[in-house]
Amino acid sequence: MTQAPSDATTIRLEIARYRPEQDERPVLERYDVPYRHEWVVLDALNYLKDHIDGTLSYRWSCRMGICGSCGMMVNGVPKLTCSAFLRDYLPGPIRVEPMANFPVERDLVTVLDDFMEKFQAVKPWIIRDGEQPLEEGEYRQTPAQLADFKQFSMCINCMLCYAACPVYQHEDEFLGPAVLALAQRYNHDSRDQGKGERQELIWSDEGIWDCTFVGECSAVCPKHVDPAGAIQQAKVESTVGWYRSFLAPFGRG
Amino acid sequence: MAGYESHEYDVLVIGAGGAGLRAAIEASARGLRTALVSKSLLGKAHTVMAEGGIAAAMGNVYTEDNWQVHFRDTMRGGKMLNNWRMAQLHAQEAPDRVRELEEWGALFDRTDDGRILQRDFGGHRYARLAHVGDRTGLEMIRTLQQHAVHRGLDVYQEFTVNRLFKDGDRIAGAVGYWRESGELVAFSAKAIVLATGGLGKIWAITSNSWEGTGDGHALAMYAGADMIDMEFVQFHPTGMVWPPSVRGILVTEGVRGDGGTLRNASGERFMFNYVPPMFAAETADSEAEADRWYTDRTARRTPDLLPSDEVARAINSEVRAGRGSPHGGVFLDIASRRDADYIQRRLPSMYHQFKELAGVDITREPMEVGPTCHYAMGGVRVDAETGATTVPGLFAAGEVAGGMHGSNRLGGNSLSDLVVFGRRAGVGAADYAEGVEAMPTLDASAVNERAELVTAPFESDGKENPYAVHEALRDLMQVNVGIIRTESDMQVALSGIHELKARAAAVKVEGGAQYNPGWHLALDLEHMLNVAEAVTTAAIERQESRGGHTRDDFPGPSPEFAKVNVVVRRSEDDGAITATQEPLPQMPAELQRLFEED
Repeated sequence: MTQAPSDATTIRLEIARYRPEQDERPVLERYDVPYRHEWVVLDALNYLKDHIDGTLSYRWSCRMGICGSCGMMVNGVPKLTCSAFLRDYLPGPIRVEPMANFPVERDLVTVLDDFMEKFQAVKPWIIRDGEQPLEEGEYRQTPAQLADFKQFSMCINCMLCYAACPVYQHEDEFLGPAVLALAQRYNHDSRDQGKGERQELIWSDEGIWDCTFVGECSAVCPKHVDPAGAIQQAKVESTVGWYRSFLAPFGRG
Repeated sequence: MAGYESHEYDVLVIGAGGAGLRAAIEASARGLRTALVSKSLLGKAHTVMAEGGIAAAMGNVYTEDNWQVHFRDTMRGGKMLNNWRMAQLHAQEAPDRVRELEEWGALFDRTDDGRILQRDFGGHRYARLAHVGDRTGLEMIRTLQQHAVHRGLDVYQEFTVNRLFKDGDRIAGAVGYWRESGELVAFSAKAIVLATGGLGKIWAITSNSWEGTGDGHALAMYAGADMIDMEFVQFHPTGMVWPPSVRGILVTEGVRGDGGTLRNASGERFMFNYVPPMFAAETADSEAEADRWYTDRTARRTPDLLPSDEVARAINSEVRAGRGSPHGGVFLDIASRRDADYIQRRLPSMYHQFKELAGVDITREPMEVGPTCHYAMGGVRVDAETGATTVPGLFAAGEVAGGMHGSNRLGGNSLSDLVVFGRRAGVGAADYAEGVEAMPTLDASAVNERAELVTAPFESDGKENPYAVHEALRDLMQVNVGIIRTESDMQVALSGIHELKARAAAVKVEGGAQYNPGWHLALDLEHMLNVAEAVTTAAIERQESRGGHTRDDFPGPSPEFAKVNVVVRRSEDDGAITATQEPLPQMPAELQRLFEED
């Protein structure tokens, strides 16, 4: 999909600015920035901040798609702006807004407290019945056991999946795609025995059953974590577990 | 700005990458009131970008490996300038720290029988890097973060510390601000751990992100701590110089290993002009022979694969001679030399990285690359056992601390450094804090004075734009204190830094205190200018070439400088930065014997 360089010399950005001391609500402001074939939206924002308006607020860090800081809505779609090319939005304008479904702190910066709380709620750490001393070496885990959940561990906490999720949009309580995938990452880890401690929450109304399997989360995930798949897997497992608890009440679910 | 929040902690950890998280886990596990300060969001620190792995002599792949071999590799890599005790502890303890990460849930690629797999890396005698694909740093920071957050420590995210405070000679606390609101916070703390990472943002081309402004280096200097080895800065020869979104992202040596070649603006394969005599016998002297080498090892090796400091020096010379690419690098071309299928098969992650982040199809067009500032070996002088700095109550670990890597760091030794010395600094700070009876008191008038200084850029009558001053500093350092240095260039840099200090004092910031990146940069500028001066002063002092410090006017290593660290101190009276030479710690005889076969 390499396109020929465009003749454009500038491109228009429409940025949602929100300065609580002066704006009652976010307002779109228009800026013309140089168009470069190689630039991504984050380059354009950095240009704008360095040369036009030093007060523009947004988050970013690594520029290589691994830290998950620079998620925003680009023309209405959640994107990592470090990998959203200007040339894919020609001739413009390009509308850049803060991630949907989160309160806005200022300009393109959102409030993430809700995510951080939910993140911890599913106990994203190894839970064991007993520890073995370090001297005995590592816990064994075969490549096949690892492959069973490795995909769910690729999450970079960029929260694009929350911005895309129509359920989270309407139900604040919903644990949400990344957090449920994270729970699944630990539940499937062969070294973990904490599934029982996590299941009450993830099987609750705020957990997997809130998901209507729209699949937008997996569509926007830059790391192919497939949270929708993780949730679906958890639903199947819980159904099987529920039936088993009737058929073999003294067995392990 | 009137008023500020006040908090008290036994241990305050500044920086939330691998070292800071590990230190905080240790302090909070001791039941001490612990706070962790993170300049960006938790989990986004530079640790996340580390790809190669974590070096530890576990012997899972080669049973011959042990700490002595790892220690020797590390010392050789650092050209024997490392603090030997740090290198020893690092090699001895890294395996347990990896097992600990594993126990806490970190994923690693595995051997068929389920043990942690280890991979080869430059400078390591045996396959030694525990890893998970090429995202080991992400896995490590996620594991530490998830292990830390439910331990009951307080996290200050998007928070920047601007100054440390002392009570007499001892550390007493710190003042910083919430980036979000601009509101000030004063911490009283019995002990402080600096784990702030690197200082790459004082150069124009760097793999470091906006956070890498040398805050901890500067905070330590302001507090009167000794700094060592500040002249040693690791430059990778081939970082992307264009497009800007990927400027500084590293291009693995594998691209050259698989057929990529360096060319200047006129298409010449210039590396043939830069083969030093000591490598002439083993290096091809014609393009035909070099090209044959890839499939016929009776031919001599292509000069594209000379050691990285030679490659970096050659690129630097071409750019300086006006033969560089449009954006100040040279071309790295594999597209015209290998077919697309081969490139995609051999270099899948490079191919995708450039395609997705740079929009460059490396199967069709050359890359623009150049020497890129990557890592600071130098930093705060610490006690190997405890991470204690020369200021009582102040500890340091990770990239901000000096000594572990000597003049040059081996790949893979960074992640292990973070957890080995993060833990040790956490223990050191906890022990120290437990011995302090009363919470230190902050001098209220000093805090108020600091509060006024922090908000001064809003009131300034000056007209300087912080971004413009920062750009000028980065260009000054790139040109004059980059990968190849001379006394005269560095004197230009020193006087330039003094001029920029005057400009920085006249910085004017628009807008308010809430989430204002221009204001944040204005405050970081002071740190960067002081750190740049420290690096330059140390680099002038070391009149030799060694590891990450290459002098055109002193091209070889010197036996005299092999015996000393350059120590930098900043006067607490007038801010003057000076360098002195001090003898290296003496390695005991039983460790020296490990090098006798050399």
